[in-house]
Amino acid sequence: MNIVVCVRQVPEVADAELEIDKEGTEILKEDLVMDINEWDNYAVEEAVRIKEAHGGKVTVVTLGDEDCEDVLRTALAMGAEEAILINEEGFELSDAAGIAQGLYRAIRDLPFDLLLTGAQCSDDGWAQVGLILAEYLGLPYASLVVGIEISEGKMIVQRELESNTVEKVEIPIPAALTIQTGINNPRYVSIMGIQKVRKTEIKETNSGELGLSEEEIGLKGSSVASQKLSLPPVGEGAEILTGSLSEICEKTTQIIRDKGVI
Amino acid sequence: MIPSRTSYWLIQHVWVFYLLAAVAVGVFLFGVIIHVSVWIKGIRRQTIPFSWRGISNLFLDGLLGRRIFRGDIAAGTMHILIMWGFLGLFVGTVLISVDYWLYHFLSGFFYIWYSTCLEILGLMLMIGLVWSLIRRYIQRVPRLERRIEDLTVVIWLFAVVLSGFVVEGLRLANQSPEWAKWSFAGHWLSFLFTQPQGALSIYPYLWWVHALLSLGLIAYIPFCKLFHMLGAPASIYLENQPLQAILAESRAQDKEVFSYRDMIFFDACTSCGRCVEVCPSSGAGEPFSPRDFIVWARDNLLMKYHPLNHFNWFENWITRRHTKEQVFEPQKIWHCTTCKACLDVCPVYVATPDAIQQARSKLVEEGTHMPPLLTQSLKNLYKYNNPWEATKKKRAQWSRDLEIPDISQSKEAEGLCYFVGCTTSMDIRAQELARSFARILKYGRVPFGTLGKREPCCGDIARRVGEDGLFEKQMEDCIELFRRYGIRDVVTSSPHCFHTFRNEYPAFQALKPPEEQVEFRVRHYTQLLRELVAAGSLKLGKPLNIKVTYHDPCYLGRHNQIYDVPREVIAAIPGVQMVEMAHNRADSLCCGGGGDRIWQEDLDADVKMSEIRIREAEDTGAEILITACPLCLIMLEDARKTTGLEDSLRVMDLNELVAMVMGLDGGGEQE
Repeated sequence: MNIVVCVRQVPEVADAELEIDKEGTEILKEDLVMDINEWDNYAVEEAVRIKEAHGGKVTVVTLGDEDCEDVLRTALAMGAEEAILINEEGFELSDAAGIAQGLYRAIRDLPFDLLLTGAQCSDDGWAQVGLILAEYLGLPYASLVVGIEISEGKMIVQRELESNTVEKVEIPIPAALTIQTGINNPRYVSIMGIQKVRKTEIKETNSGELGLSEEEIGLKGSSVASQKLSLPPVGEGAEILTGSLSEICEKTTQIIRDKGVI
Repeated sequence: MIPSRTSYWLIQHVWVFYLLAAVAVGVFLFGVIIHVSVWIKGIRRQTIPFSWRGISNLFLDGLLGRRIFRGDIAAGTMHILIMWGFLGLFVGTVLISVDYWLYHFLSGFFYIWYSTCLEILGLMLMIGLVWSLIRRYIQRVPRLERRIEDLTVVIWLFAVVLSGFVVEGLRLANQSPEWAKWSFAGHWLSFLFTQPQGALSIYPYLWWVHALLSLGLIAYIPFCKLFHMLGAPASIYLENQPLQAILAESRAQDKEVFSYRDMIFFDACTSCGRCVEVCPSSGAGEPFSPRDFIVWARDNLLMKYHPLNHFNWFENWITRRHTKEQVFEPQKIWHCTTCKACLDVCPVYVATPDAIQQARSKLVEEGTHMPPLLTQSLKNLYKYNNPWEATKKKRAQWSRDLEIPDISQSKEAEGLCYFVGCTTSMDIRAQELARSFARILKYGRVPFGTLGKREPCCGDIARRVGEDGLFEKQMEDCIELFRRYGIRDVVTSSPHCFHTFRNEYPAFQALKPPEEQVEFRVRHYTQLLRELVAAGSLKLGKPLNIKVTYHDPCYLGRHNQIYDVPREVIAAIPGVQMVEMAHNRADSLCCGGGGDRIWQEDLDADVKMSEIRIREAEDTGAEILITACPLCLIMLEDARKTTGLEDSLRVMDLNELVAMVMGLDGGGEQE
């Protein structure tokens, strides 16, 4: 079973104080720590596990600049065999369909049985790329997958729906799935693990090689364009209580009472 | 008639005996070769030079059983009876062979003296064996297991000695030589044979039973825990030889995880269970014990490298040797806090924490058997250079109102570098340690600075869980900073950073060419405090009239033998009454935060290690529990809250106590 996984490098924003450039078009990324998109990490892990159980090979694809090699190395260290870097900064302002188009061109000639992407990316949060990509490739697809059972020529996959509901669907192979977090417990990638794949060849390509003109990528090739970015205004009403534990508890109770909760 | 020894009395076909003896020795040697063939598969981490200290340890720990006596006089006495009995009889048997084959000397007075000695040794062995059975099966000493092997070994040995005495008694009853009374045990037994001539017909059978039991035991030795009679001396000798560092890169090419030294240690283990008794993780009811780990590691190595391992019966035998408790999965090694209590009590120096670290490095490399929270902490450690998921900017925030010079900003850095450490910099509770220490240093007019937001992680966190590639990267970053800013003198908040700088860095530095090596002095802050106290630089005026107790951090105490220094600082404070907890100094109980457990709450059992420790502090009646490590501080502070001791007990770092006495505590910062 050959599997293609699309991954993306994103900035870590959990603890970061984000800054926006003067024009209000971009988040400043210089000081941000970059890492593999969390959902994609689960997708790579799932692909490697399926490969370990059923044989075949895993190919990872990413779209970005040359710094994105790091996420490919991470995926290789996790157990992927091949990596493709679409080295093209022109996709910076692409919408979901634009990104999917870039990936589609790189993937369409690869022989594969299963296409995995993360359910969404933590940066732009479209949650659309995997599904548009499936449409381009003409593949059946399932989104928000939290479990995969493979049998002859088909799969039973579990999809996460609202309020703890899980839907089981049968889907033929080949197919495209977007992976939800929690489907597995992704393995740790050690420094030595990355060291070991340091010399693995990464295939590089770009939009020209993929037959995409400048008009077709980036902002020009997108139907959705970002107008302005702004940080949410700091709200009012927050109060930090001081004093001993019992004093704090008393004050808290008082506030809850005053607001009419009890 | 001159007293002398009778050999092969009434025994025919003596050649059969020699044949069987050769077979027994052959099996014994085969067994030994098996162990050695496993050992040589291990990584070479030390040479084996001649060492007087090794020899003296062999004498003290081996022959005199120093470490077996420690903490358990009964076990020590029992063991020495068995060991000396066994060794004495072994030497006696060798002397017989010399007497029979080479040079006849067992006659006259010397023979009488020899016989009496052997009688005493045989009785010692029997008493020791009976005592061991009583301890295991009647007293049921909790740390002892009751496996089949534990019984067969003792019964077999006992049968050998008893059959020897019976054969002797029957012979003496018939021969009645005038010197028989000197072989007193056999002599007494001879009275049992009321019709010596009648019993004579069974004598050859008894003799052969004794011979077969003895030869069988020799063959059995390498296949049971008796092998420790060879493994333990090797282990004791190796213990004090310095270890070489292995770079993660060369380790990655090694097929084996353990060093040959670890493997010898495993073979020295007799499952005596002292480690289980002191292990804080076992004590808290977690599914881990050092003994289970060792047995698991040893069995796995045997199955991996044993020349017989492609036979199914062999694998079955190995797995069946152990009973119920042997379900040990590799993931359990993440429970170890690396507190070193197990190694401290081990009679044969089995370096479990070291071996666990090697095993962890393998699991880190595979990446699939790791607790999710650990994976998270290590990722943070790589991305943020600290496990707290805090950006660089936050590293120096604890000191923003204290005006501490940043060594990386100033041109000449002659003074002391205060290495604050990740946890002390980031955790709000632990920051108080740094703030107090900085104020004390300022008061004492000690010129110092910090590396501010450039301070990296020293690598301890990665090291303890076997993420050696990351450890080496962080060590190189640290060394590079020390070199760039000419840092020669370092003081740390954490015993963990202190230990890593002091005991881990030098072996790696030694691998480099001399011009690239960076040497620096490192002290833990308690040492600096004591120096300041001794020099009279601190005004510890305000009498407190308070009762305190002190918790020894594992990496200050057991790992670095610093027990008195913090106690001396406490003693220098007027009006402070110091009481000790039930477990103190080398016996101290881990707070549960070591070995990166502080970031892995998912491994905790119902009762946390820190809660067990805080209860001990409560039992002393002290008002303040003092410690000298940011991890202990956080763990114990949490335990104080979860056990509802908030009103009766305070947890403070030693710096906080000193700063409070000096009136430097900034006022109103305490809860």
